Amino acid sequence: MAEYQNIFTRIQVTGPAYPGVPLHPTDSARQPGIGHSHLLGMLGDAQIGPVYLGITGLLSLLLGAVAVSIMGLVMLDSVNWNLWQFIRLLPWLALEPPPAAYGLRFPPLNQGGWWLIAGFSLTLSILLWWVRTWRRAVQTGMGTHVAWAFAAAIWLYLVVGFLRPLAMGSWSEAVPFGIFPHLDWTASLSIRYGNLFYNPFHALSIVFLYGSTLLFAMHGATILALGRFGGEREIELALDRGTAAERGGLFWRWCMGFNASFESIHRWAWWFAVLCPLTGGIGIMLTGTVVDNWYLWAVEHRFAPAYPVVYPGLVDPATLPGAKP
Amino acid sequence: MAMLSFEQKYRVRGGTLVGGDLFDFWMGPFYVGLFGITTVFFSLLGTALILLGAAWGGTWNPWLINIAPPDLKYGLTLAPMREGGLWQVITVCAIGAFVSWALRQVEISRKLGMGYHIPFAYSVAVFAYVTLVVIRPVAMGAWGHGFPYGIFSHLDWVSNVGYQHLHFHYNPAHMIAVTFFFTTVLALSLHGALVLSALNPQKGEPVKTTEHENSFFRDIIGYSIGTLGIHRLGLFVALSAGFWSAVCILISGPFWTRGWPEWWNWWLNLPIWH
Amino acid sequence: MKLNIMQTVVLAGVVLAGAAIAVTTLERPPVQVTQNGYRGVGMQQLSNPRLAEAMAARNQAPQSIVSVPDVGPKAGQLYKNVQVLGDLGVAQFARTMAAITAWVSPEQGCNYCHNPNNMASDEVYTKVVARRMFQMTAALNTQWQDHVQQTGVTCYTCHRGQPVPAYNWSEDTKPPRLAGLSAGQAGQNMPRASVGSTSLPYDPFTPFLEDRPANIRVQGTAIHPNPKVPGTKETEWTYGLMMHMSTSLGVNCTFCHNSRNWSSWEESTPQRMTAWYGIRMVRDINANYITPLTPQWQAHPNGPEGGPVQARLGHEGDALKVNCTTCHQGVNKPLYGAAMAKDYPALLIPQSR
Repeated sequence: MAEYQNIFTRIQVTGPAYPGVPLHPTDSARQPGIGHSHLLGMLGDAQIGPVYLGITGLLSLLLGAVAVSIMGLVMLDSVNWNLWQFIRLLPWLALEPPPAAYGLRFPPLNQGGWWLIAGFSLTLSILLWWVRTWRRAVQTGMGTHVAWAFAAAIWLYLVVGFLRPLAMGSWSEAVPFGIFPHLDWTASLSIRYGNLFYNPFHALSIVFLYGSTLLFAMHGATILALGRFGGEREIELALDRGTAAERGGLFWRWCMGFNASFESIHRWAWWFAVLCPLTGGIGIMLTGTVVDNWYLWAVEHRFAPAYPVVYPGLVDPATLPGAKP
Repeated sequence: MAMLSFEQKYRVRGGTLVGGDLFDFWMGPFYVGLFGITTVFFSLLGTALILLGAAWGGTWNPWLINIAPPDLKYGLTLAPMREGGLWQVITVCAIGAFVSWALRQVEISRKLGMGYHIPFAYSVAVFAYVTLVVIRPVAMGAWGHGFPYGIFSHLDWVSNVGYQHLHFHYNPAHMIAVTFFFTTVLALSLHGALVLSALNPQKGEPVKTTEHENSFFRDIIGYSIGTLGIHRLGLFVALSAGFWSAVCILISGPFWTRGWPEWWNWWLNLPIWH
Repeated sequence: MKLNIMQTVVLAGVVLAGAAIAVTTLERPPVQVTQNGYRGVGMQQLSNPRLAEAMAARNQAPQSIVSVPDVGPKAGQLYKNVQVLGDLGVAQFARTMAAITAWVSPEQGCNYCHNPNNMASDEVYTKVVARRMFQMTAALNTQWQDHVQQTGVTCYTCHRGQPVPAYNWSEDTKPPRLAGLSAGQAGQNMPRASVGSTSLPYDPFTPFLEDRPANIRVQGTAIHPNPKVPGTKETEWTYGLMMHMSTSLGVNCTFCHNSRNWSSWEESTPQRMTAWYGIRMVRDINANYITPLTPQWQAHPNGPEGGPVQARLGHEGDALKVNCTTCHQGVNKPLYGAAMAKDYPALLIPQSR
């Protein structure tokens, strides 16, 4: 029984490293370094590398480094270049977008100009990385599903940092770069625009977030539970159904009356995961541009529950006669 | 359509946890079993009670139906049916149905010679639910700390319980849980996409193999976790998301009564900074 | 699974450190909870009895001085230069003076404000300040009962036996380097007690608690956008002020609001009305009583000549002003609602300027 719990790889065979499938004639060479990690081998594959850097990879990493350096230097300045305090206060520090007064103009560097430059570098870096995922798939003859999934995440990133501020007419609406500051932004966005919980696209996004987690737990557990039948050989089993695929399918058929196949479970997975940022991005895109107060919108569309009034007769004191504003 | 072409040889008796071959049969695609019976019993009763609550609440609009827990003044006692007692009975039904479902998964796993990973994984979700409606309310001394059963009313509860701690995003366990949730979605999209891209290659190309999957990921990020490892990783991050969610709400109230941002003062006040 | 020694040590270290942080930083049950909304809505106040003890010890009202009959000649007739409290009988006048001394300058005594050789003289600047504060206290107790209710305030509500109240604020918006890379984003992203250790803007007082305040209400009032309304950044300032209010009073957001619809008064609690008047009261205090006294403190930036040396101005040279913490000091009713003022009738009647 305990032999088949399949939590860790118990015996690791060490052999020569696999250099990868043949490269396309138009590719450059892979980086030479290949390593092995016994620790990683307990969980999955022990081999590390070889990585294919290429021109897009190189540029992406460089631009990413530029963006992170700008963020780091501005944060360092905000603690008066005290490295020790930088470490202490790092979770609170930020690179903020420009104040609302600048609208969509390019402000002085220390008034949010650095935020625009860092954001531009980071965006370029991410887009180049996307090109890389597309190119590697095409060059190795594979489908471009990874690139399309990545594009869904990039959509959400572009909405919060670029497209929505553009639509609102002000960079100030964008997310600051910073650990706690971006959480403050998230909470403030929800407060300002009348409770994101009543944004139906936010709700859908959460459904796909939790749904993805549920799916991965179900799928991961199914494959691990089929360990003794070789259930992890998904491609082979999708093409030529073996007993692992039969048992996996029957488990869910018997449990809930329905089952996916070894290929279709990955379509379910892909769509759930992709729809999470896709619907989330739509929800944020509409916030402040089309809907200013989601709670009031929910009341109008009759999906906000009402509770018995606990303190009757409470009125806004600003509306009472003689009130100071 | 009750049976797939290959299904007959798998439909064998035995493997039940209790009751021998009592209810050891299939209905259509479903395996029944003793726990199938208890699942149906609790589900039907719970659903009927929710409908009763909707009738009492005066709305059949599914977005507005709200079955609220009792007032705090009832503590850990039973409340009158119309003042939260209904919520208490529905909670019992929900836990009964969830636990039955998990045990049913154990029986199906045994019949198919599979490991118990699925019922274990499901148990983490049940644990998170039980944390919300039993463990935390008991730790705080009243059933009224459970969340209301309603599509949008439970979000109002989430909102207010969050703001009981001024800014819930600063809850460290919440941070860990959210990170695991997002990581799970990322990993799931990559895994789903990778398998699909191998099974659905470029036009005119043969279907790819695991060698291609590994090469693609090593090319991109320098590491491929492999076909077995991705399922271990996926299960781990998914269950961690559920587990830390339970932790983040369990500590809010019983183990922390103030604003979560203030919790971080221990870090700010570490003696090493001075 | 086999881990080598190093890996085992690292793993054990991480687990132990996590457990140690959790045990040493968190509280423990049982906790006390009061419900202030409909059941299941989650409007509740939390407190932990293990923390409440220390808080109670810091917020005890002092004993009232034995009362005296209001007989004898009026202080204003007997003494020179009595601009406030002149209507009190001399015994009551002396008792009130003794109380003020105990509340504000118990160590320094009468001479903190008075020239002992000429009690009527205004030469010690603190006497001028004290007179104005007297007028303020009386005004709060008579004009701001929407906030201070029948409980009222005394000097002790803020001063707590110290010449300068321990909790005050002054302008704090400058970056560490005036032309530095981060100059334009100063005023936030630094954990400060004023905003409960968040990275929200930490001086919400300058915009909101003085004369000509910015608008606190940022939430959209209509379903569809109105181009004039403020945005997310302005909301962070309001959030900062609300963090200050919550932490000052030792309550959470649901003490006043149903967070599902912050701006709604129908779903709020009566405490929100009290708080609304409190904000206006604090603005009145800062704009009409504290800030006009700034020249007195500029002339004596470290207090009276006799000491003790203590700053009377903030970094930017402005006066030390009042916010919620100045009186509340962590509890939702200052001094747990101890009605001190009723024992000093002079504090409950308007005093002329």
